[in-house]
Amino acid sequence: MLVYTLPHIIENAAQQQPDKIAFKYLSDTLTFSELHVKSNQLAQYLKNKGIQKGDRIGIYMPRCLETTIAIYGILKAGAVYVPLDPFAPITRTEFVCKDCDIKHIISIPQQTRKLKKFSGDTGLVSIIGIHQELSVATAISWETIFEVSIVPSAPVNILGDDLAYILYTSGSTGTPKGIMHTHTSALAFVKLAATMYEMQDAIYGMHAPLHFDPSVQGYYAAPYALATTIIVSDAHTKMPSSLAELIEKEKITIWFSVPLALIQMLSHGNLDHRDMSSLKWVLFSGEVFATKHLQALMKRWPFAKFSNIYGPTEANQCTYYHLETPPLTDVPIPIGYIWGDTAFKIIDPQDQEVNDGDIGELVIRTATMMKGYWNNPELTQASFYKEETIVGAPHIYYRTGDQVCLDKEGRLLFLGRKDHQVKIRGYRIELGEIESVLSSYSGIEEAVTIVINEEITAQKKLIAILLPSHHTSIDIAALKAYCQQNLPAYAIPDSIEIYNEFPRTASGKINRKEIEKRITS
Amino acid sequence: MQEKIIKYIEEELANEELDGGLEATEDLLGSGILDSLGMMKLIAFLEDEFGCKVLPEEMVIENFMTVAHVNDYLVSKQ
Repeated sequence: MLVYTLPHIIENAAQQQPDKIAFKYLSDTLTFSELHVKSNQLAQYLKNKGIQKGDRIGIYMPRCLETTIAIYGILKAGAVYVPLDPFAPITRTEFVCKDCDIKHIISIPQQTRKLKKFSGDTGLVSIIGIHQELSVATAISWETIFEVSIVPSAPVNILGDDLAYILYTSGSTGTPKGIMHTHTSALAFVKLAATMYEMQDAIYGMHAPLHFDPSVQGYYAAPYALATTIIVSDAHTKMPSSLAELIEKEKITIWFSVPLALIQMLSHGNLDHRDMSSLKWVLFSGEVFATKHLQALMKRWPFAKFSNIYGPTEANQCTYYHLETPPLTDVPIPIGYIWGDTAFKIIDPQDQEVNDGDIGELVIRTATMMKGYWNNPELTQASFYKEETIVGAPHIYYRTGDQVCLDKEGRLLFLGRKDHQVKIRGYRIELGEIESVLSSYSGIEEAVTIVINEEITAQKKLIAILLPSHHTSIDIAALKAYCQQNLPAYAIPDSIEIYNEFPRTASGKINRKEIEKRITS
Repeated sequence: MQEKIIKYIEEELANEELDGGLEATEDLLGSGILDSLGMMKLIAFLEDEFGCKVLPEEMVIENFMTVAHVNDYLVSKQ
């Protein structure tokens, strides 16, 4: 069948291989046909409730089998799903719900305790997937959903250009921003990834949470290729030895995670006693993989090909760099080559192309690119670069904000950010968002956050430096609690320092470089 | 031992606000209380505080599911 929207993936798989396991979580499984039927029931329920095409519906749960029913059910109803980080502070989740007008959330009973904390002004109407009614919303259990009868009716006409999902990520102004993807932009990525990483009949290990864009591979590219996806539980992600055992037991052939998960398996995974030879591809993205660890892991797993994947959430994947043998030097590996259906330019601050080999900002034109930022036309406009080569049909590029250059072999090298965005454990963090939260705390005049690399552990540390108001003493424990209420866990500073004054540049701006020098010396 | 572990997690590691303190039977791994780096810090703490060596093959879900499991695991090593 013609696959031009995301639900077609599961319809097609259910036709081709109905009894094959599509997703497995711990010992529970869903075949392609079971997923097709259950997601149809959820879609029918949503339509019965009056959900209209384009309505936004939240998904609030750690990844599990219900996640797959939720995403496909929402999409089949013509609606748009918005992953809500199940571990984010409530205030942040409420912000996202209000920002894109979420009335219904799909969840699981284990989230009930947190759902009870949502306030009435969030605007929620119902929670699907829990048993207990809340004061702010009604509850409908999964058991009820799985009793819904499918009523023959005119199908929702979903087009490739319709919105499919919105992923929220850190925003520099202090609030998260929503990145909108259509069925077409997601599918373009899905088809390229399924081909490049030879996913046909693979056993795919999915480590990424739903609100993190690599999850698109596991939820869509793997079933597109009729592969089985093993959804890694949160418990496994925290225990490297159990994680390695899972890869061995499930005979996973394609693994995709941030480098940290691989580094922890290398150091604590008891790999001497594990047979990992089922692995054919080891994919990693989100941040730079420290070369010495990459070399060590590749020596352990000589049977696997490794691939460095680069691409901001706004554009899914843009480049790849495959390695079949360990890198020979300690030099950071390239982000590599632009992949299919994608073009790029490297531009200077005046939007002119740089000379060969010079450093500039990477801009990309690709079929996998987002539609824009939710409810933010100015930011959307500012993030695109238009090239008017053909009058009336400009080429539109996304400004990545990443500084790159081309090396002599024609490979792209990543050289840092243009702005204050950093990556910690694969998560994008705008330092401005953390600073804005810190500065909003009573008694703090100004705040700066910097990231330093710890040599020994190859980990990044987030350090906050504060300038208190005159004669104010800051209660650090209370401030940390305040951060926990307002920032996701990965954005909470590892340590906090108090300065009496900040070093400034001649123009009066805070001299971040000087602060960095003081902290690292 | 159990109280010391709870105190350390509450004060140093907990990523989210705990309602009325951490229970010994509360799920440490499936919840957002600890992340993967927090778990590594907890292991380093156990080694320093109780003078034991947590072997890679012991870094498994069964030993770290809850504070009570961690406690039982440490007792079994003594």
